[in-house]
This record gives sequence, structure tokens and C-alpha cells, in this order.
Amino acid sequence: MIPEALKNELKARVAAAVTNREAAVDVMKRLQAHYGWLTDEGVHESAEILGMTTLQVEELATFYEMIYRRPVGRRVIHVCDSISCWAMGGESLMAHMAGHLGIGVGETTSDGVFTLLPCCCLGNCGEAPTMMIGDTLYGRLDSARAGQLLEEERAAVMGEMEGGR
Amino acid sequence: MPKLIIDDIAVEAAEGVSVLEAAKSVGITIPHFCWHPALGRAGACRVCAVKLLDGPVKGIQMSCMLPAQEGMVVSTTDPEAVALRRQVIEWLMINHPHDCPVCDEGGECQLQDFTIACGHGTRRFVGPKRTHVNQELGPYISHEMNRCIQCYRCVRFYQEYAGGSDFGVMGSAGKVYYGRFESGQLESPFSGNLVDICPTGVFTDKTARFRARYWDYDMAPSVCPGCSVGCNITPVARYRELLKIVARRNDMVNGWFICDRGRFAPKGVNAPSRPRTSLVDGVKTGREEAMDALLRRLGEVAELYGEGSIAVVGSTRLSQEGATLLPLLAESISAGALSYGLSAAESRASSGAISMLTLENGASIADVENADCIAIYESDLREEGPMLLLAVRQAWRRGAPVLLVGENSPLEQVRGVGIEAVQLHYMEEAPLAIFERPVVIAGMRHGDPRVMAVLDRSGARVACLFPGPNGHGAALLCAEHGGIPLEEALAKGKVKGLVAVEADIPAELLAGVPFVASLDWRETAAVQAASVVIPTAAWVECDGTYVNFEGRAQRFSRVMKPGLPIKELDPACHPPRIHQGDPPGGDILPSWQVMIEMIRLAGEKVPDGPFSGSWANLTSLDPEGEGEVIRGRCRRDS
Ligand code: SF4
Ligand code: SF4
Ligand code: FES
Repeated sequence: MIPEALKNELKARVAAAVTNREAAVDVMKRLQAHYGWLTDEGVHESAEILGMTTLQVEELATFYEMIYRRPVGRRVIHVCDSISCWAMGGESLMAHMAGHLGIGVGETTSDGVFTLLPCCCLGNCGEAPTMMIGDTLYGRLDSARAGQLLEEERAAVMGEMEGGR
Repeated sequence: MPKLIIDDIAVEAAEGVSVLEAAKSVGITIPHFCWHPALGRAGACRVCAVKLLDGPVKGIQMSCMLPAQEGMVVSTTDPEAVALRRQVIEWLMINHPHDCPVCDEGGECQLQDFTIACGHGTRRFVGPKRTHVNQELGPYISHEMNRCIQCYRCVRFYQEYAGGSDFGVMGSAGKVYYGRFESGQLESPFSGNLVDICPTGVFTDKTARFRARYWDYDMAPSVCPGCSVGCNITPVARYRELLKIVARRNDMVNGWFICDRGRFAPKGVNAPSRPRTSLVDGVKTGREEAMDALLRRLGEVAELYGEGSIAVVGSTRLSQEGATLLPLLAESISAGALSYGLSAAESRASSGAISMLTLENGASIADVENADCIAIYESDLREEGPMLLLAVRQAWRRGAPVLLVGENSPLEQVRGVGIEAVQLHYMEEAPLAIFERPVVIAGMRHGDPRVMAVLDRSGARVACLFPGPNGHGAALLCAEHGGIPLEEALAKGKVKGLVAVEADIPAELLAGVPFVASLDWRETAAVQAASVVIPTAAWVECDGTYVNFEGRAQRFSRVMKPGLPIKELDPACHPPRIHQGDPPGGDILPSWQVMIEMIRLAGEKVPDGPFSGSWANLTSLDPEGEGEVIRGRCRRDS
């Protein structure tokens, strides 16, 4: 269950929108941040806050690739597999990432830090091949740079977890 | 009207139609999945490709998305178009499980037909197929998502057309999934249309699962007996058992769809307990003997209790054929009272309605759909005429406000179709005069007859929801022949002999009647109380006519022969090893024919058929036609 304060804040956000539906992505992202992924409970709560049915929320949740309806690691890595990145080596970037992390596409590392997902266009074609780790976008990547980024992000996550303790 | 050429045929297309529809008008069927006449176009499936050789647009185009225009030269057979369609269908079939042998859609499947039509016959894809987990959607509809070709028809019908909010499309790209958030019964009162509208076997009728193939079906054009809307249907039977009901198109009535109540109503026709043999005091006898006994005992009742002690009671579910003969039967046995089974309140409302309705002021479903304001007066349409609710939604989608008037018009009814409405106390509060095409839908269960006068003056078109599938017809005859309400006919213990013809009379009302006879195919209270029972053919077992709420007389045809379903026969005696034309238990006549036999036995002059005199025009009704509107005959006659 989400805290009352968050619920009220989101209800105010919905009330300020012209239509409830346009606030749906915001609400889902906040609940996702709260739970780590958008849980079934989170879908029910989103529906209640938005005055929509659970199906209507689920239609949106499963359409957007950055709403996660399954558990994910602390940082989700989206590697672009759309046409420009593919032409600029996106496929080998994905292979390198999987190699560095020791997991397959769609999987989460055993320490729960990273989930590796493909993504159809990050809007960063000029910097292809490109990927996103958490909320940060990276471009013109090669294997070495990608490996280095992973180390930095892992260290940052560890720091957060220490801090959180 | 644009003139164009399709496959060397000159076509003059109706204004605003697509190339696909223009081709259809000259008998060329271009394969299509996402386009549907009632839902329009979506451009989702890409299987309707044609090539434009000349004119305002050139090259490969989707024929459903392209308006027919002057000077177009269209080829459906151009090699490029043919190749594209073949590739599209091959791609749509990539994940299909090829499970036609165990699919109930097989044999009546658009996907089968168009796969062949597009020339895809050999599977080349050898990779793993994407598979889905199905949902449990309740007792009526089976779900098999692997058969889906992503045409979006289901969700467009369910959400846009019918206003449902518990079923939709989830996921994206190669993983779209049509279903609910979680398993559970579909909530829309129109969910069964998914079965008809899905071009493949994702949604099939669970109630008839694995029972028969299309070519085994006994089918005929018919009319739903569920309420006075009179939706056109095709009942499907096999081995003298009614299996399922599908919608049949009639643009003047139900369009393409029907409601779940009509589609999934319990099939009383199949009830093992229904009367199938004539009974006298509980003992099986032949029909002739039963009719003799009936007439003899009625004579005794008349002798014992005198004039006016016999009543003949029909109903609003009795076909117009039966209803027309009822007064003749009553006369032949000197009955003192004739009733069409209406309660006092229904009688008042019905007679008010028929004397108010004219050809001009009556509303059809099409009038409801095109209305710019709708008032639902004292009615819960979920009960009295579900398909009108779907029509109300179409008007609301085009901007018509919906008013719920009176205390018997619950708000929940419109929630079921996802629309908003304003509640009012009185008809007078509805500002109908400021609209151009207002329609009032008036319930007749609670309706105050004085309202008819208000409606008459309002300038609105009116749809009156008569009780039963033939309530309008019964009301017309009741007025012509001086019928009285059921309670009145049975009041004060005056009636000592009663003949119930397909009439649903509560047991309490029968308690004081010493002699009851019943002609019916349902096991009613009257059948249980009756000393003489004569079975009649059910609506799917005979031809007949119902007059719907707007006064449209519609003919239905016999779907199957009457007789015991093969399922109910003793296996040891099947097949019967004697030669006979009729199936076992098949010596059953429609009620109007039983009445004619009785009139003959009573020594009266027998009419040639059910319809004569001013009703003779109903003789030639076409079951596949649009029906004939006969409302207002009371008003015209007077
Ligand atoms: S379930 Fe049927 S109607 Fe719905 S998208 Fe799939 S094939 Fe089309
Ligand atoms: S609206 Fe009435 S007539 Fe039409 S399908 Fe439903 S029950 Fe049958
Ligand atoms: S019917 Fe034209 S794209 Fe589907």
C-alpha cells in the first residue's frame, strides 16, 4: 500500500489534469518508483487514483516500455535496437552488455542491480549506438566505454544502498 | 457518385464508400479483417491491398482506407497486389497454431477463407511460435489467444461501440493481447458479439463447444423471443437440439449485433421436462383424444356454471398467428372472456401506446441511433430492451444527451454501456422541444398511461417497450377483439374453465379454477395445473410472426423439426427400426394449427390460415426481408 501522502498528492495531480487519462503515466511512474516496479497492487491503486478500470491502466502500463510490470533491478538498462543503432553496431553493443553482466536479454543480475532490456528507439539516433541506464542516456558507445559505465553505475548503486542503510 | 473501374468492371460507387465497399457492390470480395461494416476501417491488417493503375491515386493501396474516387482504375488481380496479400497473410499466420480441427470456428472462419483466398497454402516459417496464456472469461465465451491476428475488431466493438471497460488490448508489437486485466466474466451485456465479430477462433461460444460443424447445422432466419425489440437471429440446431444463437443482420432492427440475454438465454426448447405428449388427467394420449376430452369438459363446465364461465388466455410470447386465432377459438367454445395475458398495468400502457403510435411518431432503432436527444422514461433497458441501450450509446457518441426520467430508470443501465446521463423526475422536465430529432423510449411495466398524452404532444418520436416478443401484436388484437387483462379475466372466481395458450399464468391465479387446459411447449404453472395438456411446437420448430416494439411484423422460419432430441432417445431404440417420416415425438403442431383443429372439432367454420381480412398482408412476409411496419392501424381505423 502506498502512503496516504503520496496518494493525496497523486489525486491532486489527477484533479489538475484536463482528463484523468493524461495523468496516467505520471501516476504509474510514481507508483513504480515506490514499489521498484508496477506491481498488481500498484495497478489497482493507479486505477483507483485515476478513476479508470484496472484494464484501462494495464493497457497503458503494458504499452510503455519504461513501465515495468515485473520485478527489475535497481537500474534498468535499455539498449536501443532500432534501425539507426542497429546500423551503427547496436547488436554488438547488446551482446557486449550481456557479456559484461553475465545475463541474457530480459534478465536481472543475481545481485539485483541491473536488468537488461532492448528498447525501440531512445530518440538519440544521432549518437548511435545508444543506451539508457536508469534515467541517464549514453551515446556513441563501444564495448570498452559500456563496460566502464557499468562499473560506475554499479558503484553508484552500492553507494545508494549504503546510504539507504 | 464517383465512377471508377475495378477489374475492368465499371462501378458507380455510393458517396463516401471505400474502394473495398465499391468492389463488394459488384460482387468482388477483397480479403479484409480489420474492416467491418459496423465498425468501419482501421487499416490494421494490410490484407486488403489492391493496385491502382490510373486515376488520382496510384500504386499499392489499402482498399478499406481509400475512398472510391472518380476516375480510379483499380486492379485486385495485379501481380504486385496479389503478392503483397500473399505475404501479409503468410505473416499473419506465422504464430497461428494451425489447430482448425479442434477449433469451433473451423468451417465458418474468415481467417480460413481469406488465407486460402490470398494464396497462402504452405507454411515456410520454422521458428518457434509466440504463444499466449488464455483467460477464463465466464460461462459463455471461450478464449484462445493463439489464434489472434491482431485485427482489433474485438476491442473496437467492445470499447467504442459497446462502451465496455473491462476488456481491451494490452502489450505492444509482437505481443499484443486481447483480454481482461485478469480472468473473470466479461461485464458488457453485449459481450457475445465478440464471438460473431472475431474473424477467427479467439472467441467462440462456450455453450455450444465441440458440438457441430457449420455444414451440420440446421439453421433458418429467425427472430429473438427475448423481448419486444425483435432482433434478427440465426438459431443453430443439430439433432433436434438448439445449440446456439448468432446475430443476423437487419439494418432496420438490430444491425449486426444482439444482446447477451438473447444469445445466451437458457434454452427452454431443450428442457427435458417440456411437454411433448398430450395428457388427459396426467395420462398420455393422442392429440385428437385430448382435444375431444378438452371440448367435452369445457361443455360440462359451461353446463354446470353457465354463460361466461370459460376464459381463453394467450400471451405476449404467442406468435401473431396464434394470437390472431385466439378470438376465433374463444368464439368456437363460447368463452366469456378473452385475454392476452397482460396484467392490468400492462394492458393500460399497451392500449395507450397503440392508440397513440402512428407511422410518423413511432421510433425505430435507427431513429434512436440518429436522435439528437434521448429520454428513457420509466424503464430499465437492460430488462425491457437491451439492444436499445446499444442504440442509445451510438446516439450519445454522436453528441446526443441522454435523460433518465422517472424513478424506474436506474442510472446503472447506462453505466453498462459507458455513457453519462442526466436524471429527471418528470417527463415534462425534459426539454425535448429544443431538439430536432428527439426520441423517447418508454417502458411499459411502470409507465403511467397519462404520459402517452404528454409524449403525443412532445413532438418526439416514441419507442414503446411492449412486454414480450409479440406484445405489440397482442395489444392490437386485444383492442380489436375486446380482450381484458389477466386479473380481470380471472377475478371473482367467475371463471371455472380456462384454456391457456402459451400463457404464463401465476399459480395463485389458477388456484380457484376447477378446469384448466394448457397448450404450450414450456412447462408452465398452467401446464402443471392442467387436466388437459396439448404440446405445441416451440418457436424454433415452426414458422411464425412477432410484431416488435415499433410495430414491425417479422416472420421467423422453422429451424428444426419438432421431436425428441437424439440425445434424449434411449440408445437401445436408436435408430428406430421402423420407417416413418416424422422423428420420434415429432407429432407436434404449432399452437395456431392446434387451435384450427379445435375450431374444426367444435363444428365451427375453419379459416384457411392464420391471417385473413385486415391481417391478410402478413401472409406473404419474407423472413429474410426487413419486416413490415403495421403500427398505427388502431389509430388509422378509428
Ligand atoms: S481477438 Fe479476434 S477480433 Fe480481436 S484482434 Fe484478435 S483476431 Fe481480431
Ligand atoms: S434486445 Fe431483446 S430481442 Fe434483441 S437480442 Fe436482446 S433479448 Fe433478444
Ligand atoms: S481490411 Fe484493410 S487494412 Fe485491414
